[in-house]
Amino acid sequence: MFNTTEIAKGVNVFTRKTDQFKTVNISIRFKKELSIEDTASRTVLTNVLQHSNATFKTAAAVRMYLDDLYGTVLYLDTTKKGNEEIVLLNIETVNDQYLKHDNVLDKVLELIHTVLFKPNLENGAFVSSIVAREKAMVIDRIQSIFDEKSRYAQVQLQKLLRPNHPASISVNGTVEAVNAITPESLVKTYKSMLENDAVDIFVVGDIDEVQIIKTIKTALPLADRATPYVVKVVEDTEPITDYKKEQMDMRQAKLHIGYSTPVKFGDIDFPKMQIFNGIFGGYPSAKLFVNVREKESLAYYCGSSYSSQYGLVYVTSGIESQNEEKASRLIDEQLTAIQLGDISDMELDQTKAMLTNQLTEALDSARGQIEIYDQYRDLPGGFSVPAMAEKWAAVTKEDVANVAKNVRKETVFFLTGMEEA
Amino acid sequence: MEKVIFEQLDESLYYEKLPNGLDVYILPKKGFSKTFVTFTTKYGSIDRSFVPLGEEEAITVPDGIAHFLEHKMFEKEDGDVFQKFGQYGASANAFTSFTRTAYLFSATNHVYESTKTLLDFVQQPYFTEQTVNKEKGIIGQEITMYDDQPDWRAFFGSIENLYYNHPVKIDIAGTIETIDKITAEHLYTCYHTFYHPSNMLLFAIGSVDPEEMMSFIREDQAQKTFPEASEIKRIEVEEPLDAAVKVNELKMDVLKKKAYVSFKAKITDLQGKAMLKHELAVQLALDLMYGRSSDFYEDMYEKGWIDESYSYDFSLEKGFGFAMVGSDTNYPVELELAIKKVMNDSASALPFDAEQLERVKRRKIGFFLRALNSIEFIANQFTRYQFNDMNLFDAVPVIEELTMADVVEAMTSIQGIEQQAMFTIKPLNDTSEKA
Repeated sequence: MFNTTEIAKGVNVFTRKTDQFKTVNISIRFKKELSIEDTASRTVLTNVLQHSNATFKTAAAVRMYLDDLYGTVLYLDTTKKGNEEIVLLNIETVNDQYLKHDNVLDKVLELIHTVLFKPNLENGAFVSSIVAREKAMVIDRIQSIFDEKSRYAQVQLQKLLRPNHPASISVNGTVEAVNAITPESLVKTYKSMLENDAVDIFVVGDIDEVQIIKTIKTALPLADRATPYVVKVVEDTEPITDYKKEQMDMRQAKLHIGYSTPVKFGDIDFPKMQIFNGIFGGYPSAKLFVNVREKESLAYYCGSSYSSQYGLVYVTSGIESQNEEKASRLIDEQLTAIQLGDISDMELDQTKAMLTNQLTEALDSARGQIEIYDQYRDLPGGFSVPAMAEKWAAVTKEDVANVAKNVRKETVFFLTGMEEA
Repeated sequence: MEKVIFEQLDESLYYEKLPNGLDVYILPKKGFSKTFVTFTTKYGSIDRSFVPLGEEEAITVPDGIAHFLEHKMFEKEDGDVFQKFGQYGASANAFTSFTRTAYLFSATNHVYESTKTLLDFVQQPYFTEQTVNKEKGIIGQEITMYDDQPDWRAFFGSIENLYYNHPVKIDIAGTIETIDKITAEHLYTCYHTFYHPSNMLLFAIGSVDPEEMMSFIREDQAQKTFPEASEIKRIEVEEPLDAAVKVNELKMDVLKKKAYVSFKAKITDLQGKAMLKHELAVQLALDLMYGRSSDFYEDMYEKGWIDESYSYDFSLEKGFGFAMVGSDTNYPVELELAIKKVMNDSASALPFDAEQLERVKRRKIGFFLRALNSIEFIANQFTRYQFNDMNLFDAVPVIEELTMADVVEAMTSIQGIEQQAMFTIKPLNDTSEKA
């Protein structure tokens, strides 16, 4: 799907030439092992690099230049995958052929160089007022989770379920870790990222592949990485508790349940677990949706998600406080049913069709092509939609029941409103 | 079947009006594997007072009914429609807005089976008192979910501020109390009045053969019988120009304050190219005044009065329109004054030059070119434009032609001081005075 070129040791360019899109998409990914201190520092760094550099010192100046380049989108962000933390630089720019003039793509690559290699430094450190401002922005972001009740409930569940573990470490870090950052410490983070991280660069669009690799080599003068990139596997931690309830002044209660499974991404049973999740609560045709919502009218949403990197399954639902017991019981019953093999042909076939359709659809966007490829290329045997579809097609009801038997309910977090008068 | 070519964008659009009045549009997209089909009625939450089909007297139905009807369309005598789409691996969905109710699916194969399912389930209503009552619990939970979302509350709080009478101020889903009054009979009345093919539009986009798809839909519709199309009589309300409530606030269990300034639009009667031009001109003006490359934004960001939640937007439909600017902030009072100052200063003279206008125009063109990669974006937006006699694919050429004079003229729609309102969300323990 992508052509791979190693431009330095540990620095790979993945190109895909296609005339499917009216834009060119570039995604640059700096990867390292996850750590609590570094997440905060790297997140603040992305904010600082996003809003200021030696050429465009203010956020408005950066934005003005992007506007001039036909509203080219350029943003930095941090994310995690398994035990990795990743700094992303994503760019989407219009394809020159739809414009009346300009060579926008060259200018965009020049800008990428500026953003990454010409930081706005003062006496060898980042400008302190900018660092202070962006630290405040990241702290705002961390705190704002409290205001989104379902996100808050999910974060609390993760902390209870896998304390001090990549599954519960936020990519934004903690308020304490953000506060500890200085303009000098941020330079260390920055240099370490450029020198030590493994780097993947994805390019999708109507491009000349030979030419773009040449241009990227100039725009991103990254040296050979000294050590090969290896990420340690982290042992699962034990849940702090199997149940916790918290009250807030709100109208709808949030019921979040965490389950463990020994099956993780890339394991032989991985496709079976994907089917399990689809039948359990992955789609509007799933058991949770049909039984908790449609039959009992307890919820507007009730579904499950499979976090395959961590071997976890989450069920989330919004219900009336007083229905906690009934909803919990119904959810338990759906899992038991699957464990007992109570699965219809229709449920199995629908889930296979939905998974295949979803994967095929995701490839209709450039971003989707990059994400799917980046995620699935690690699978043994490589990645293609037909190959995945074939694996799903081979899964039987017994397979699903068998993986379900190892899905264990670990922790419930119940965020409830105040008792009704 | 007509074919319209948009040369600069390299898109071809196919159109036919069927004998029963249904408008069908098809847009094939090269290189895509999915097909997205939307089936939309020009009926939304604001259509609460009307003369039912075949009757003389106007009625007012309970709030939230268009959205309730959308939910109930999915349940049939022989089960849930999601299951049927699921068999084909298709993802189905629906949404209700102020002015539209849309049903849609996306699929990478069995597209005709799913298209048939879509047409059938939307054109064959099935409501009973029992199924209607069962839905009240589900929608009740949807309503309380939104009640706990501060962004949604700030959005609706702002609209409630602006309007005295217009039903846009009523929450799309209604309230627990209003939906409790809804009956199967209400649903049939609304259905028969607003779901006639002549009030609907079908749009297919993606990996689709236009000739084949058109004849498939044509044949399907020819086999179904509908009453004669008749004009829908909606009852319009009188709405003054000024904001009904100038300042309001809401306390919630949150950490962050939120401040939103809203501006009620004066010009809401345009349609077609004139509306497209006007809407884009107002958006460009807002980009100049409040965009991320504006002096205002830089100043606010430097001062820390706004954060990453900052946003501004302009919504326009026939009969109502509003702009909103706001953010999470620790300085709601200061931010309110700063936002209003930018707007009020613009009334005497718009302090921007040709170069700045060119920049925001480029940005907007880039936005549309990016958006036109997305089948979802086109599918969701196309119908909204068409219902207002505009065409989504005209946006880029219209932006290219816009002048500063157009922008200045368009801005008069939202410049009046009496058209402004302020809404704040505050934490429960906040003791500051009402602004």
